Amino acid sequence: MRRLMLVAFAAALAAPVQAQSPLDSLRGLKDQLKQDSKPAPQPSAAAPQAKPEAAPKTGPAADLPPLPAFGDVPVQDEVKHGRHIAGSLLGAAPLVDDPALQQYVNRVGRWVALHSERPDLPWTFGVIDSADINAFAAPGGYIFVTRGLYAMLRDEAELAGVLGHEIAHVTRKHHLKVMQQSQMIGAGSDLLARRLAKGDDRVRGLIGTGAEIMARGLDKDAEFEADRDGVVLATRAGYDSYGLPSVLQEIGRVAAGSDSVSLLFQTHPHPDDRLARLGEAMGARFDGVSGARNLPERLRRAQK
Amino acid sequence: MKEGCIPTLRALLAALLLLPVAAAAQDTGVALKDDTLRAEPFADAKSVGSLKKGASVTILKRASGWYQIKAGSTQGWVRMLSVRRGEAAQAGAGAQAGGVAALATGRAGTGQIVSTTGVRGLSAEELKAAKFDAAQLRKAESHAVSRADAQAYARQGGLKSVRFDYLPVPPSGGGGQAPKGR
Repeated sequence: MRRLMLVAFAAALAAPVQAQSPLDSLRGLKDQLKQDSKPAPQPSAAAPQAKPEAAPKTGPAADLPPLPAFGDVPVQDEVKHGRHIAGSLLGAAPLVDDPALQQYVNRVGRWVALHSERPDLPWTFGVIDSADINAFAAPGGYIFVTRGLYAMLRDEAELAGVLGHEIAHVTRKHHLKVMQQSQMIGAGSDLLARRLAKGDDRVRGLIGTGAEIMARGLDKDAEFEADRDGVVLATRAGYDSYGLPSVLQEIGRVAAGSDSVSLLFQTHPHPDDRLARLGEAMGARFDGVSGARNLPERLRRAQK
Repeated sequence: MKEGCIPTLRALLAALLLLPVAAAAQDTGVALKDDTLRAEPFADAKSVGSLKKGASVTILKRASGWYQIKAGSTQGWVRMLSVRRGEAAQAGAGAQAGGVAALATGRAGTGQIVSTTGVRGLSAEELKAAKFDAAQLRKAESHAVSRADAQAYARQGGLKSVRFDYLPVPPSGGGGQAPKGR
């Protein structure tokens, strides 16, 4: 499907599969790009607001818009890229054929996303048919949880925590920024990028198009940030704050050594490290939250 | 292979899903730091003992951010994130040895992709090779729900929005090197 690729991404498929190190060399650049990631004031999820930003009806990558190396990407363009990544991911693992389950996950996910800074993206959630334990977020609000991860969940608060982590990747534009950097470097036209890359061919073709970006890690800062934000988003939505930590504990306990987590462990810090950071960040801050719900009875069992 | 795995997997998953929020009865863990054991899952509850870093514990149940645990002859509540689940079980089980090795490989980020034997996985290669599936994408988008639908469903569950600020980056930083010595 090479014809589907952006020219700027063309070198990507030749790149070795190495989880995080290529990204580390870009961390300085990434920090510069973080300047616009300050959280906006909290929206009120209860208040009616503007209509959702419409999902454009684009097909595969043929006409994906170019991404600017720096600064804001128009939302429409972000969604087009996200759709392309989502469609490719679904090509690797289709949706679990269970409309009631998919609707349930969308209801929970959209509710959590309403408590973010980007409540009106065309948020789309899904459970995909893979025994792997993993979850994915693509720009524009496309979020998928594997059947393997979903099966580990014990209540809706845990689902909300997992979705909150992925929602945070979207609201913080973690993947989008990596794609912007990649495009810049791929074009090879930016002096700053060249200097940061230090002539290292590894950074060339950092990210492919489509689902390949899901096989590459973000830097650890982004994952720790998404953990912190995910806990907060679930809390804002009225759930037990400890859903995400509980899932991470379960992954650390049950999944260690299972093939089902190989990609997750390649692309994320170890659950123990994530829990240590979360514990430090959360401390006693959530002690005062009252009325939080777990809703184990609402968690839908996957059919089939 | 997918079909063959699913009945067993489903039975396992069904068993897992039937568990209450409480942890399984025989769940074990290790204390990650010194902490106070309390009579109830609250920071200001009466102290009933102390927990030493590295101590093996049995986890009885969870209540939000707290585990009820047994350490030696003492029973009480401790902050969930003061305990790491599973260590004791792993150390003792020979069947887990390969697992620990694989885990270490993944963690260091130096290893090759672990082969996905027997179970369908989503490997880096599969993601790279994935082809855009327009029909699946449309199907996914057809399940998206409106703001109003999500709000109504939240109300049904008694969920209430709470104001809560984002967390600051903790002293050890937002990222960087993992803490040593888990």
